[in-house]
Amino acid sequence: MRHFTLSLLAGLALSSPGLAAEGTRIQVSGEIIDTWCYYSGVMGGPDAVVGSAHHTCALWCSAGGIPVGLLAEDGTVYMVLKVGDDTQTAGGDTLLRMAAHTVEADGMLYERDGLRYIVVSDVVSDLDITNKNHEDYGNVPGFSIPDPNK
Amino acid sequence: MRALSVVLCLAALPAAGQSPFPVDIGGSYALTDQYGAARTEADPEGKAQLLFFGYANCLNICSAALPLMGQMVDALAQDGMDVTPVMITVAPDQDQVETMGAPLAVHHAAFIGLTGPQEDLQVAYDAFRVEVEPLFEDPEYGWVYSHGSFIHLLDGDGALLTLLPPILDVDQAVHIAATYLEPAQDG
Repeated sequence: MRHFTLSLLAGLALSSPGLAAEGTRIQVSGEIIDTWCYYSGVMGGPDAVVGSAHHTCALWCSAGGIPVGLLAEDGTVYMVLKVGDDTQTAGGDTLLRMAAHTVEADGMLYERDGLRYIVVSDVVSDLDITNKNHEDYGNVPGFSIPDPNK
Repeated sequence: MRALSVVLCLAALPAAGQSPFPVDIGGSYALTDQYGAARTEADPEGKAQLLFFGYANCLNICSAALPLMGQMVDALAQDGMDVTPVMITVAPDQDQVETMGAPLAVHHAAFIGLTGPQEDLQVAYDAFRVEVEPLFEDPEYGWVYSHGSFIHLLDGDGALLTLLPPILDVDQAVHIAATYLEPAQDG
């Protein structure tokens, strides 16, 4: 957990309030993640709370208001502020549809308060769920799929 | 043009309705608190505010955001920074003037809960770009709603200073908020 929070806030001590600079256009490839479970560690380690193993929980969290992140291949996490024509911040059906998907996103990066926010202008490619880690971890957490017998 | 407007916003703190982010976030609203008093985006005492859109008995992100807000208020107060925690309900059928106060007080005695007619709430949702959608009905707790993902740090006039993802821990969130706030002046 501590490792991740330090990673999340890398550069915080050097950052002044507000935006460090105007937005920078970037293209990022990575997975759309559930940031709460990823950073809190409450549902398992970082390798278990991504991919197909965590897809159901990621849907619950995204629908329930957890900010969605884009976990880049180099480990950087971008907080998704907005996607495409969505009028809402970090919400809407688009992000639900892309939970746990590997995507290539074209957008603008804004660094603020030591956090990296991305406004995604275009999802260049959506490869669906490519991380099939349910084969290793099963469903994480198990209770994210309701028991029909209860 | 968009980049230019961002730079200009940094030159001075934004007025109500202007956003320091590349997405327009913030604006006016007029709702009713748990005491039956009218309240707008401006704090009556001019204090900075932590604003979240959720509901008092939420089992989702509110269960992280509301306690964090309460802890932030106490931590900032120790450094002389007075901040009011405010929650605008996304579930007016559950969060009414008579019912909001007690569950919010669990998180902090100073919590202000705001509700109102759907059309007045929608004004606030739209201003802060918050999607509110009923997802399903829990037989024990009632309707579960999608709602906002960020805590909004507002100044005393209700202008957005910054966003705080509720995944931060208290120290991190306080560190960020404190960079925007000044200790209250005695007397």
